[in-house]
Amino acid sequence: MNIQVERRAHVTVIAIAGSVDGATAPALVASFREQVGGGFIDIVGDFSRVDYTSSAGLRALLETVKETRQRGGDLRLAAVQPDVRRVLDLAGFTHILKLYGDIDEAVASFPARA
Amino acid sequence: MRAELSVEARLENLARIRAFVAEACRSAGALAETCSALTLAVDEACSNIIEHAYAGTAGGSIEIAVETGPEELRVTLLDRGRPFDPSALRPPNLTADWNERPIGGLGWHLIRASVDDVDYEPGPDGGNRLTLVKRSPRR
Repeated sequence: MNIQVERRAHVTVIAIAGSVDGATAPALVASFREQVGGGFIDIVGDFSRVDYTSSAGLRALLETVKETRQRGGDLRLAAVQPDVRRVLDLAGFTHILKLYGDIDEAVASFPARA
Repeated sequence: MRAELSVEARLENLARIRAFVAEACRSAGALAETCSALTLAVDEACSNIIEHAYAGTAGGSIEIAVETGPEELRVTLLDRGRPFDPSALRPPNLTADWNERPIGGLGWHLIRASVDDVDYEPGPDGGNRLTLVKRSPRR
């Protein structure tokens, strides 16, 4: 798994590539926590190159949704692929998370901040 | 057809375990979504073995056997860790709002949702024997 962080105005795009499982999820959690800890609470997870997630990835997502929303931000996902979407559906996460077709749409969904 | 893999119980081996199951599944001619579902179930079950049955202790092993027949795919996982019967677990509340959802506790739910049968029994020499069965519609 590989993680890249990019700023788009006040929105932080975290692009993840590869498989999220029990071995790789800790690095994802660390990346999310680093952003939230730095005050970057409007986050887009670019899932276009995530081919797999287990419940370890779901834990990372739910923790980050809670941490960002409690601070007035959010974690939103872009370009979730079918196999990952299926896992989100099974876990009931498609009711919790806001999903967008692509990164630009997800970034634009966040209101401007003064 | 039967394929076997023995691996050290480490999270770093999950990718190898998934590749092994996916290959056995594909070789049997199963549908891609059947293979994805079975692979996820095996990953979750092995993650539980590593994190709970062996609870982070080094040197444990997992024996994985995939048996493929015309009707079904059957994966047997054998470990020598702490006994753990999944039937005692309560299912998660999938419709709760985000602030009510606990972090974690989804692994067994994903296993049960991904395969058709889950059978648990204590292992022959201590530990656990878990059997996951996925019925296989042919391509």
